[in-house]
Amino acid sequence: MGKQEKIEKSDMPLTALREGEIGIVTSIKSGHGRGYGRGIGFERRLMDMGLTPGTEVVVVKSALFHGPIEVSVRGSRLALGRGIAERIFVVKKSV
Amino acid sequence: MSKRKITIALAGNANVGKSVIFNHLTGLHQHIGNWPGKTVERAEGTLHFRSYTIDIIDLPGIYSLSTYSLEEMISRKYIVVERPDLVINVVDASVLERNLFFTLQLIELGTPMVIALNQLDMAKKKGIKIDVEKLEKLLGVPVVPTVAIKGIGIFQLLEKAIEIIEKGQETRRIEVRYGEEVEERIAKLARMIEGIQFWYPPRYAAIKLLEGDEEIERTINRINPQITYTAKKLANELENVYGHFCATIITSERYGIAGCIAREVQKLVPPIKPTKEERLHALTTHKILGYPIMAFLLLLMFYSIFTFGNYTSELLRNFFYNWEFLFADFFGIGVVGKLVWGGIIEGIISGITIAIPYIIPFYFILYFLEDSGYLSRIAFLMDNAMHKIGLHGKAFIPLLLGYGCNVPACLGCRIMETERERLLAAFVTTLVPCAARTVIIFGLVGQFMGIQWALMLYIFNLVVIFVLGRLAFKILPGEPTALIMEMSDYRLPHLKTVVKQTWSRLAEFIKIAFPLIIVGSFVIKLTEVLGLLEPIAASFSFITVMWLGLPAVTGITLIFGVLRKELTLIMLAILLGTTNFAQVLTPIQMIVFTIVIMFYIPCIATIAALVKEFGLKKALLMTVFEIAFAIILGGVTLRVLTLII
Repeated sequence: MGKQEKIEKSDMPLTALREGEIGIVTSIKSGHGRGYGRGIGFERRLMDMGLTPGTEVVVVKSALFHGPIEVSVRGSRLALGRGIAERIFVVKKSV
Repeated sequence: MSKRKITIALAGNANVGKSVIFNHLTGLHQHIGNWPGKTVERAEGTLHFRSYTIDIIDLPGIYSLSTYSLEEMISRKYIVVERPDLVINVVDASVLERNLFFTLQLIELGTPMVIALNQLDMAKKKGIKIDVEKLEKLLGVPVVPTVAIKGIGIFQLLEKAIEIIEKGQETRRIEVRYGEEVEERIAKLARMIEGIQFWYPPRYAAIKLLEGDEEIERTINRINPQITYTAKKLANELENVYGHFCATIITSERYGIAGCIAREVQKLVPPIKPTKEERLHALTTHKILGYPIMAFLLLLMFYSIFTFGNYTSELLRNFFYNWEFLFADFFGIGVVGKLVWGGIIEGIISGITIAIPYIIPFYFILYFLEDSGYLSRIAFLMDNAMHKIGLHGKAFIPLLLGYGCNVPACLGCRIMETERERLLAAFVTTLVPCAARTVIIFGLVGQFMGIQWALMLYIFNLVVIFVLGRLAFKILPGEPTALIMEMSDYRLPHLKTVVKQTWSRLAEFIKIAFPLIIVGSFVIKLTEVLGLLEPIAASFSFITVMWLGLPAVTGITLIFGVLRKELTLIMLAILLGTTNFAQVLTPIQMIVFTIVIMFYIPCIATIAALVKEFGLKKALLMTVFEIAFAIILGGVTLRVLTLII
């Protein structure tokens, strides 16, 4: 397929949200189109864990020094490495 | 009357209590091995129930039935090709939506199944109430509520399973239906697939083709390339309509259905105060407090293992050596007696005095931490640090194991997602000073030069690990993957399951390490009896004496160190005729000797584990590299220290 998902202007990476803020997933940017491990597409893995477009994500915690972030998705608690979280694009949900 | 044989597979997400159910069902009759040719664990057990002999297979914990990971591929292949009589889908009631996403895929696969709605107690704590009957009706699949940790519902689960196998499953189960645009194209493809002979149900294969599933695509392409061509065309059409990848569209819709069902059957009354588990989670992953807590727990863990280990090891050794005189009476103290005692019996004794006192408590605590959920918090805390050497947080776990023993640590690298990361993690792990090396660091440098020097060596070791890890990360081709990990709720581990996990790990360790330790002991003893040890040691005295500045006898100790590292110190004492090393070694010699020991070779059992996991070539490469590295580093240290001191 090889084409990138569109990224709208109002989108921001998940890492731009502060703790406690909620984002709605718009797209996941794939890894430079290069082979990722042995075909383990991380974007598919993320979706299998529930991060599909339109899903609400709560940023629960962000570790110091650009460490991983903890998010809450569909009632489960996930730890995401910073590099991965930067590729998940969301729109901020205003409360 | 002979019993009928049936097979039941357990499938579900990770951390849903699958292995607890497995243990309840199979009791002591279980066998844990590997899937043929794969480094993925396969747990199998048998159970006699009524007129049946039931074979139970515990499939790996997965989130989807795609083929993105080895575990998923193995599970799907098993269900489709081996066709178990029934699949028990273990579902975590406290994370219903995500679990149902997996359930829907099993339903699509058309396999006969029962759902074990597990961890109902945890769901209740979180204020989730589930209408079991409604869930059963919506899915069209029998649902049995269970609290596996307390053994609740296991019998009913088994009865239900047998009932379905005997009567056959009703066919009124839910059909997972996607949006119209998608359905239209699924139907078109399914019709084409119906015409060919294929393992998978046509509708399932059609959906997977649209999702771009490589395995199914490859197989169908061989039978009829026209179908895969059409699938690509249809997928493209969908992508143009929705503006997303086709896989994304289908996954989204499937999750949508799972979400609908979950909302329909569960009532949410979130507790006002955060639960005990949640507060514990917040504390143990706290940005600042999390680290000292982790450090404290880990130190406590190692301290108790070593205290227990040293005491028990001594006790066992005394016990065994009390029998030596009896043995000498029987075999005599001639060559044969020496070979049998020193070669074989001592090999066995040393194996036992390591395995029981150190490995057992180590595994026990480790599994306790894993099943409680704490290991995933450690991975979260350490993710940042591990990224510096191209690994992610999960790699800290084998690294940690390495401080106990490198053998289980190398096997533990299986938790990494890609071959590259497994290799990288294993390499770094073999550099970690295990319990045996700790004995030398503290017994030589710590005792005769002071504890601060011993600790400095540990810090030096960490620096080396960091530098070499970083280098290896740069050299090995491929991109690093990142952490994607669930942190499931804290819970009290099921003790019997932890004990069984410890036992099966111990058995694995014995199988890998014992034969080599015994054969190795025998060979070295034989060399000694034949009087070849000294000539061999002398032949590389240009390294030990000239380059490393050590007494010539250390050459012999280094040979013994291949078997077990702590032997080097024991041999050194024997050969130098004293345990007061300060009389025979200068402080610099002690440090050089310890550094060489720390890095020079993974012991023979570790090499065996490496061969098992990565093949002979890579294992030898690592071994040779580490020998060369240790010798160079030792010599450089000698010269640098001589200059400054």
